[in-house]
Amino acid sequence: MAEARSTKKGAARAATLYQPLEGRGAGDGRSVEEIRAAALEAFERLELPTWRRSGFWTTSLRELDPEALEPKHVEPGEIPAVVGEALGDERPAGLLVQRGATVVHAELDPEAAAQGVVFSSLEDAIRTHPDLVREHFMKRLPYDTHKLDAAAAAFWTGGAFLHVPDGVVVERPFQIAYVIDEAGTAQYAHTLVVGGANCDFRVREYDLAGDFTGPALHAGHFECYLGDGARARIAHLQDWGSDGQEVFDVSTHFTRVGRDGHATWIPIHLGGRMTRQHIELSTAEPGADMRHRGIYFTEEEEHLDLFTVDLHEVGNTTGDTVWKGAATGASRASYEGLIKIVPNAQESHTYLQTHSMMLSPRAKVDAIPSLIVETDSVSASHGGTVGEVDETQVFYMRSRGLTRHEAVRVIVEGYFEPVVVQLDDPGLEGLVRERIARKLAAAEEDIQAYAAAK
Amino acid sequence: MGPNGSGKSTLANTILGHPAYEVTEGQILWRGEDLTEADPEDRAQAGLFLAFQYPAAIPGVSVANFLRMALNTQREEPINVKEFGAKLKHATGLLHVDREFTSRHLNDGFSGGEKKRCEILQMAMLEPKVAVLDETDSGLDIDALRTVAEGVNTLHRETGMGALVITHYQRILHYVEPQFVHIMLDGRIVREGGPELVTQLEAEGYDWIREEVGALDG
Repeated sequence: MAEARSTKKGAARAATLYQPLEGRGAGDGRSVEEIRAAALEAFERLELPTWRRSGFWTTSLRELDPEALEPKHVEPGEIPAVVGEALGDERPAGLLVQRGATVVHAELDPEAAAQGVVFSSLEDAIRTHPDLVREHFMKRLPYDTHKLDAAAAAFWTGGAFLHVPDGVVVERPFQIAYVIDEAGTAQYAHTLVVGGANCDFRVREYDLAGDFTGPALHAGHFECYLGDGARARIAHLQDWGSDGQEVFDVSTHFTRVGRDGHATWIPIHLGGRMTRQHIELSTAEPGADMRHRGIYFTEEEEHLDLFTVDLHEVGNTTGDTVWKGAATGASRASYEGLIKIVPNAQESHTYLQTHSMMLSPRAKVDAIPSLIVETDSVSASHGGTVGEVDETQVFYMRSRGLTRHEAVRVIVEGYFEPVVVQLDDPGLEGLVRERIARKLAAAEEDIQAYAAAK
Repeated sequence: MGPNGSGKSTLANTILGHPAYEVTEGQILWRGEDLTEADPEDRAQAGLFLAFQYPAAIPGVSVANFLRMALNTQREEPINVKEFGAKLKHATGLLHVDREFTSRHLNDGFSGGEKKRCEILQMAMLEPKVAVLDETDSGLDIDALRTVAEGVNTLHRETGMGALVITHYQRILHYVEPQFVHIMLDGRIVREGGPELVTQLEAEGYDWIREEVGALDG
């Protein structure tokens, strides 16, 4: 594992591709509709993007035909089966389901409602809580980074809004599900979460595909603003299916942690034809602390391009990032993880590590941890490993009677397990374990071929 | 027994089918069955066990869960909770490890002594017909050594398990009484005898054997 410690000004990022958002945001007191109009103008001006890292990595949307996609408006009411399967039996504090372009279900536990919690579609919240929405909407998200960014800001419908007021503690999770269940769907999603001072809550966003064959697009924004002393546990499960669904997902997620506040953020990427995701976590005021854990597992022809940012905007902030991934089939996965510490953010302490496991001779994995430190007196270190299944471990388990396949499954599950348990949600943990086991079973031939090739 | 590099661990790994070793000559026969080409898991099913000199760590799976999986490979139906609990209680009692030990990840962050105990715990749970113990006594303090030896003796007594004990040191033989002693040198078994062979080794080292073998080869 490579490690770098920096105590002086400097910047080194030769192989990196992406830029942090930092302070760039559209929100400057404009109304949602004014931002929408500006985003539409940007959409018409911008071309579909291609992202190229010198020589060895390209994320391209050339296989995406925007003309063949459109928002699908459906009748509200019915919750798609895929949501029930993924969410399990746990009773949430609130559940909101958007199918295609339409929010088909929104419910809030009366107890939470009595505490002043607001949980509704974003469209509804613009009417019911105009000031809250206007204050926060796209405050730290731009709408013109690229064409699909602009499309999401211009064309979003439905959406989700959660406001947990000052001092309110909600144990059970708020669940938000975006479902695509029809080929040709363009889904533009927007989730806005606002946590008041000293509140404490959990929110989970699920991206799920129903039974269909063919292309679809999900372009989304997620933004979460936490006040002083606020604590949030955020999980994000992306599973766009691997049974003929060809979902392109280009999304940007941002969370801001306030003074002496804390966020745990756990994105899980389990499938999608092509995913390009920007995940940025800002510790924005002294005492802010974040813990970021992530998982990806790519298979077949999937292409995953992840960029995460651990942004320290002031001093006396702490962060800790660990990403773990595995790749089978002919899939491509890239993880670029940036720690950025801005000028005058002294006494920031943070660590980032990324691990990848290759399970196929045809898979390709990149791991690019990077650092930009523009001040002194900080500790920031990063490291990355790309590994394979350890044959010593495999033989050990086979000598106890397990087959090779069982041994590999134990190793891969054990590799992910330290992150999975941090979801702290038996239903979601079970779902992730079950999906990983299914992917391993499907990739059995590749795994064998890889072992034989060595 | 045999000096460093004489092939003891190679033999142990080959018996269990380690993929790094290829059998170019000879056969591994076990109860009339030829296991020379068998997969390691099939050898385990046939009743062979290896207590590793350097056991691999498997992060993310607890000792107890791993034991359950390994036991289930021997059965048609998964072992039920009650039976598993009783077996585990018996084995942990035998080896003087507390139950909390079995909830730790397999060999992950274990001390040398804990790894060796964990190997013998697995042996006690899986009840092999023959266990190969590859330098299980190395790096153990005297109490741990006694516990491990007691485990081997109990299993031998209770289940009739045979044990092939690979060791550098005579001291384990104060607690486990060998019926046969084989001396390996340069990949061959060059002397066989009873416990008296150990006494002679303790007094004179390997040089006399080397000389005798050399004289024969010359």
